[in-house]
Amino acid sequence: MPRRAFAIRAPAIYIDRVMADPLLPGGKRVLAVLFIPSVERDGTTPVEQDHWADGALEVFGTLFGGATAYPKARGIWRDDERGGALVRDEPVVVHCYTTPEEIENADKLGRLARFCRRMGRETNQGEIGLVIGDEYFAIRDFREE
Amino acid sequence: MKAQLDMDKIRKGLGAERGGKITARGGHFGAHGLAAEVQARFRVPTGGGRASVPEWTERRLLPLAPKTLTRMEDLAAKLRSKSGVGIEPMQLAGLLLERIAGAISDDDLDELLSLPLMEQKAAG
Repeated sequence: MPRRAFAIRAPAIYIDRVMADPLLPGGKRVLAVLFIPSVERDGTTPVEQDHWADGALEVFGTLFGGATAYPKARGIWRDDERGGALVRDEPVVVHCYTTPEEIENADKLGRLARFCRRMGRETNQGEIGLVIGDEYFAIRDFREE
Repeated sequence: MKAQLDMDKIRKGLGAERGGKITARGGHFGAHGLAAEVQARFRVPTGGGRASVPEWTERRLLPLAPKTLTRMEDLAAKLRSKSGVGIEPMQLAGLLLERIAGAISDDDLDELLSLPLMEQKAAG
């Protein structure tokens, strides 16, 4: 039996994607980036990363229309509250494009913040990091409001 | 569309602390950010054809150096394999041009216009 040649496609780099609505004319030009941790702040206890990555995609998809989660990166974080202990991490990085109007919407920010606080609390983090536009935002107080 | 984000409003809305500006355009935020933008914004027209950004309705000839075109071709090839979107070299050029133009605020332009004539020449 003759053997057939197959073209092997390069694997897609995203692990999941949510696109609730088509992008609107006018452009979504503000990039929001959320880091999903792989371990607790002790640096060893694993967290349910897929669960939180799925949750983040749902939140970004619902609030801002879409998001892309990238496979694990390698990261490190200095925990100053534990004597400068270095926490090695393999975060999933979630990218979301939105508009200035949407990212400044108090209701959407509040819902995004609630998700971040819940993730920080339930995965025992020292900090949840978000990049919006060209600034880094650190959420360290995980108490429910 | 607004040119500048109100970072204090975002900080309050998130209940977060501002950790400073991200200035690096290379590395993760350069390459992955570009790939994510291509995936997020490029759409295949409903009637078929090459994927593009729906609001890109204008076309102009753009003079550029051969080495710049080669660079665009290399980068577009890498982005095609990374994003899975068939971006062409000059579409990438349009995307990069849009980013740079968007980063110049109205305040920056006002500041430029307020400079004395000689300084404008020196700055240019």
